[in-house]
Amino acid sequence: MKKLLEISLGVVTSVGGFLEVGSMATAAQAGALFGFQLIWAVALGTICIIFLVEMAGRFAAVSHHTIADGIRERFGFNAFIWPLLATLLVNFLVLSAEIGGVAVAAELATGISFRWWALPVAFLAWLLLWKGTFGLIEKGVSMLGLVTLCFVVAAVMLRPEWKEVAVGAVPSLPHHDTAKYWFMAVSILGASISPYLFMFYSSGAIEDQWDKSYLGANRAIAGLGMSFGGTISVGVLIVAAIVLGAHGVTEVDDYNQLPLMLIPMFGFWGFVLFVASLAIACFGAALEVALQQAYLVAQGFGWTWGEDLKPRDDPGFSLVYTLTLFLAAVPIALGLDPLKLTIFSMALTAASLPLTVVPFLFLLNDDRYVGKHRNGMVSNAAVIFVIALGFVLAVVTIPLQIFGGT
Amino acid sequence: MQLLRDILDKQVVDREQVKIGKVDSLIAELSPGKPPRVIAVELGSIALARRLGSAPGRWTAKLAARLSGRRQPRPHRIAWNKVRDIGVDIEFDIDVRRTRIFAWQDWLREHVVGRIPGA
Repeated sequence: MKKLLEISLGVVTSVGGFLEVGSMATAAQAGALFGFQLIWAVALGTICIIFLVEMAGRFAAVSHHTIADGIRERFGFNAFIWPLLATLLVNFLVLSAEIGGVAVAAELATGISFRWWALPVAFLAWLLLWKGTFGLIEKGVSMLGLVTLCFVVAAVMLRPEWKEVAVGAVPSLPHHDTAKYWFMAVSILGASISPYLFMFYSSGAIEDQWDKSYLGANRAIAGLGMSFGGTISVGVLIVAAIVLGAHGVTEVDDYNQLPLMLIPMFGFWGFVLFVASLAIACFGAALEVALQQAYLVAQGFGWTWGEDLKPRDDPGFSLVYTLTLFLAAVPIALGLDPLKLTIFSMALTAASLPLTVVPFLFLLNDDRYVGKHRNGMVSNAAVIFVIALGFVLAVVTIPLQIFGGT
Repeated sequence: MQLLRDILDKQVVDREQVKIGKVDSLIAELSPGKPPRVIAVELGSIALARRLGSAPGRWTAKLAARLSGRRQPRPHRIAWNKVRDIGVDIEFDIDVRRTRIFAWQDWLREHVVGRIPGA
């Protein structure tokens, strides 16, 4: 019974982590421009992240190492520094985009420009990390994230042609805007397969003191939580395809178009639901990314870390998330377009994947860490697939950024 | 046990299980006719930067000299005979409060973090 509760909490938490400004914006853009045609990218990204999250949890539960600890210990500092720098940079952009997402929600709600909201949002996030515990952040904030289920409700109420939805789940070639199509596909994959997700998950497993008895729960949380998150993303995509398409909006280049999505179904409350979903999903993600930034640095250099400690007991750790949050708010406060930043950072995330995923192949097959709980054939095939995908994405992201980006 | 594989880059904790850093480098003693013998581990940014190359090592040492006000800053050293246990972490029989390893964290606590309300 206790395990069951733990699993449900874990599932809810992973939904909170999964759905953020990146998955919402990319799914909405893809739906508006290509209808259901890009559902396969959401599905593919979700399957990949299920495997990676399961492995990150298993690695932490069995070896009592986070992924960052494992990479440094197994490959040495000189190798670790590359994933460290890449992840710090990508996380920073993603964090900025999340703060932008909350700020846009605040602008939609109040009419005051998002620029003025960036610093207050960062301050509120910082306050929660400074005073809160891991449990509060993990569970409290992600519980609120369940409001995003309204997209699934809306998608079902819109009665899409389910046959067409199924057709969209199979990859197909675009009929128009070829460069944009692939750029959208890359961004969706980047939004789903975020390094911060699986790295944060392994830190969380250590914070929650997982051991081998959690292996079953870990599998359930990874599988159910991520599929749940993926389903909501598909919900966003379907709603965008039907509603935005019907309004003649094919190109979402302005976030003011987005709240339109839920209005036909829920009227004024659709607007409220959209704003709440955007604000909560992005705020939750901002907390997780800022924490992950501090975890990464503290674990990489062996400092004392833990969100349950008081800041004075882990001053280095606390300072990292404090600085990251306020610095990440600066570009938004200066007026950088949150939507453009989001799409850009998702594509960059995809390109950075090989650096963080290649180590999985070694760590999860090393008896000294995972003993008899090493990867089976299927998991290894999944890792190799993500690595290959990551390499392709890394090579194509930059040209697509130039020709297909917004 | 292979030193480079099993010791280098491991998490170091003191006898109270406080995380104090990673094994940033190993110090071995060479004597003629005998295999090299590890005598200490080193922790800290200087040891770490030296692994990236001699130039980053020099820059970091210079920076550390300026920040700490000491003329010749050195990495923190812990004698190998203080090892108590090697498991997930490597435990040394020392008390971090009696070393200078946390000097920078103490400085941060006193001058920055501790001054923010609620810390």
